Amino acid sequence: MSVRLAFQLCTYLLIVDGLAALALAGLLEPAWWPFIILVVMASWLHEAVRARVSAVVQHRHLITILAVGFFALDLLYLAESLLDGFVHLLLFALLYKLYTRRTLRDSRDLLLLSFFMLVAASALTVSVGFLLILIVFLLLGTWTFVLYHVMWEAEKNAPDQAAALIESRDLVTPSLLGLSVAAAVASLLLTALFFVVIPRVGQAALPLRARLGQMVTGFSDRVELGSFGTIQTDASVVMRVELPDGPADPEGLESLRWRGVAFDHFSGREWSVTNVERRMLPRNPGGQISLARPRGTGYLITQEIYLEPIGTEVLFAAPRLLGVTVSSGPVWVDALDGVTSPVPRARLRYRALSELELPARRPTGAGRPLSDEERARYLQLPLLSPRVRALAREVTRQSPEPWPAALRLTHYLQTTLRYSLELQRTPGVDPLEDFLFVSRSGNCEYFATSLAVLLRTLDIPARVVNGFQRGEWNPYGGYFTVRQWDAHSWVEAWIPGRGWVTLDPSPRADFDSARASSTNFQYLDALRMRWHRYVVNWSLGDQLRTSLTVREQALAWRRAFLAGGLSFPGGKRGAAIAVGAVLGLAAALFLWRRGVALAPLPVRRPATVWVYERMLRRLARLGLRPGRGETAREFCLRVAAGLPEVRATVEEITRVYEAVRFGGAAVAADELARLGRLAATCGVPRG
Amino acid sequence: MFMASLELIRRLEFNVARALVGKPEVVRLAVIGLLARGHLLIEDVPGVGKTTLAHALAKSLGVSFQRIQFTSDLLPSDILGVSIYDGKTGEFVFKPGPLFSNIVLADEINRTTPKTQSSLLEAMNEYQVSLDHHTYPLPRPFMVLATQNPLEYQGTHPLPESQLDRFLLKIRIGYPDRNDEKEILKGAGATALEQIEPVLSAQEVTDLQAATEKVRVEESLLDYVMAIVGATRGSPLLALGVSPRGALALLRASQARALVDGREYVVPDDIKRLAVPALAHRVLVRARLERAAGSELEADAIIDALLQEIPVPR
Repeated sequence: MSVRLAFQLCTYLLIVDGLAALALAGLLEPAWWPFIILVVMASWLHEAVRARVSAVVQHRHLITILAVGFFALDLLYLAESLLDGFVHLLLFALLYKLYTRRTLRDSRDLLLLSFFMLVAASALTVSVGFLLILIVFLLLGTWTFVLYHVMWEAEKNAPDQAAALIESRDLVTPSLLGLSVAAAVASLLLTALFFVVIPRVGQAALPLRARLGQMVTGFSDRVELGSFGTIQTDASVVMRVELPDGPADPEGLESLRWRGVAFDHFSGREWSVTNVERRMLPRNPGGQISLARPRGTGYLITQEIYLEPIGTEVLFAAPRLLGVTVSSGPVWVDALDGVTSPVPRARLRYRALSELELPARRPTGAGRPLSDEERARYLQLPLLSPRVRALAREVTRQSPEPWPAALRLTHYLQTTLRYSLELQRTPGVDPLEDFLFVSRSGNCEYFATSLAVLLRTLDIPARVVNGFQRGEWNPYGGYFTVRQWDAHSWVEAWIPGRGWVTLDPSPRADFDSARASSTNFQYLDALRMRWHRYVVNWSLGDQLRTSLTVREQALAWRRAFLAGGLSFPGGKRGAAIAVGAVLGLAAALFLWRRGVALAPLPVRRPATVWVYERMLRRLARLGLRPGRGETAREFCLRVAAGLPEVRATVEEITRVYEAVRFGGAAVAADELARLGRLAATCGVPRG
Repeated sequence: MFMASLELIRRLEFNVARALVGKPEVVRLAVIGLLARGHLLIEDVPGVGKTTLAHALAKSLGVSFQRIQFTSDLLPSDILGVSIYDGKTGEFVFKPGPLFSNIVLADEINRTTPKTQSSLLEAMNEYQVSLDHHTYPLPRPFMVLATQNPLEYQGTHPLPESQLDRFLLKIRIGYPDRNDEKEILKGAGATALEQIEPVLSAQEVTDLQAATEKVRVEESLLDYVMAIVGATRGSPLLALGVSPRGALALLRASQARALVDGREYVVPDDIKRLAVPALAHRVLVRARLERAAGSELEADAIIDALLQEIPVPR
């Protein structure tokens, strides 16, 4: 491929890369995509199109003035934000340049524009896709820049041969490509190093344009029955949960749930919260916010939660929540133990500590008794059909005690009703009655509502909780992926002597087992998670932690080394990796050295040769360059014929150059300086 | 020492140039051949001064000189010498031929048979003659100046490649320019040739030859020679490239040229200027048989073209 073609191809690929970055950041409406791609592609046929466009291009000043006017208007009034206005301007400049480019300089401007597109996109996107776009940009950009430089040098130094040179196929060699890739990789590594080392300041980027992901319903203080129906078919990831000091086999934690909000008032069609008052929780000196004391009833488990922007203030965590750590902002708790925090940023990361409930608990006697007012709230019922009360009594006839009755009712719902997302309600019939007696199928909200209502008819205080079920374990990243379809409703019942107990009547197990993600997805998702964890959310705290870890590790190694036995973290495997890395490095170094030794070493050039080369550069400005097979003397003769005024100078420098270069002669320093000054005068045309 | 050598060389050049009017560069090539311990093949149309050049060079040196007119009936013994029976002692006594001189002018060498031509091979290469189980060393310095006439096909035997390879340089003289020719008509060269006196002794010639070998050759110039030789071997236009002997000849000649030019080191120009005279007669142009007459000229052009492509050391 010729240099020119390679350069043009790379320029276009870079532009596409920049456009992809804009699209990723949501700065380019999908509807505009085909148009922009078409226009960019059409400009490839530049020479053919130019004739048609030339009529317009003739009025380039007019276009510029109109464009300035339009974009001033756009920035002030039309664009959604300042950044959108700039992107519009950028796109206009791109298309304008594409269609009016003539010189190499114009092509360089195109490279700059594609770079600006990346910069604009970087302010908004936190997607891992940006990493890919950045890597492509670095690789392509370095290569394009190398090609640009080759063409530029050709035009500058050999204007008469430049056209032939840039069409030549010999210049684009694998070694040049290799060099450019190596340079790109090196700059990527350097960038990564800078990224990790340079101290973070403050919070994330300017909220130029806050964008939220899809809003998730079901977590406000008023929820209609059946509102989960739509989101339960959506595979979008809602949050990812790491268990930093969790059990070795987190998949064994079957009953793990992420509790969100609870409701106490049921109107027959919707759940709501009676007392919407929230109280703000104080932060202890460690930054932690304490919610409850451990009761000693189950495992304590720490969760590191990365919540996607889903348009809710709720902080999800495993019940029973003991404390949370959020970097900034106040944290509130409501009367039903729902924890919320207003989220200024798009994505939230927090740490929660919870005490898990054991599956088959003995009575612990823990829990404060409910006040009469609370009791009344948790026993509130709408107007109910007698059939519902009759059903509750029927199911629990043999064991009227609250705890066995609750288990019995749960079991009854789990086994006799069908779980389904296809909610077909019979018109005119109360939704709960319809679910229990007519259609006998529904989603988790119906199951939870039914259980809560049935419990309340038996004078057992109960509330409905909305949150997410455990989600899928990602073995590559070591975390749970929780998606929208994991949205779940369950029931908390107050049993004397046991306090609030979680009961889940939904028979979802079979349904969810069909939803396992592919290995590829899990791998990609783990990559995304790391991107968020180590790039997007890389904070000063992380830097301090990392440097402390490195320091401690280094000290530990030093101690171990001084003690005589060096042990590696990770045992034998770690040692094997370390030894392998050292050997690989040594081999690479050896090969590199050998490669250098095999390649012809550049001859060490004495200063006189430098003087001669300086003279050549000066003469080159006048268009005089020695040919490939032309000796210094032949060139000297040619220059003397063409430029009689510099003849004496050129002859003298050539003579001294030859004596030094081939005769091994030495030249005194002051003589050298004189020659250097002389050489500088060569390129100055007289008159 | 160096200046003295230069002085001797200038004197020699001046002396020869008096006889060969208007051809200083040809005279220089002849001197280069002498200093590089080489033999010269002078080729051109009749009457441009081939023999004059050889004669003037030989006469300028205070050494023995013999001229052998090569004809179709000349026999090796006519050149090398012959053993004859001595009646008094009853033994065969070797009677040296004309080859046993310092300078031998082999006039019209391509008119004799290949057999006689080949008898020169050993003498030119090893400076000795082997005859009747005896080896007779030749006097030093020893130099063969051969002339040949390219256009005379009638009764000529082209020199075999092995013979050609023994000549350091092949020189073409060419017609003199207008003014010089006028001078010749006035009798400038002819009278000068008669008046030429030796300016260099045999010892001085060998000293100059030794000095030539000490001329510095920078490493990259060896690569340049290698590149030129390699290019002749790789060229699709040539059936036969230059031998290692040819590469060595180019290098020696370049050293001699540097000395003649007053330098103690070789520059790329020395090699480039001498590539054609030193190499053109050693290569074989493809389809030479079809274009016998033009082949040598064509070899010149091919080597010239190669030189323009080979990067010069800087």
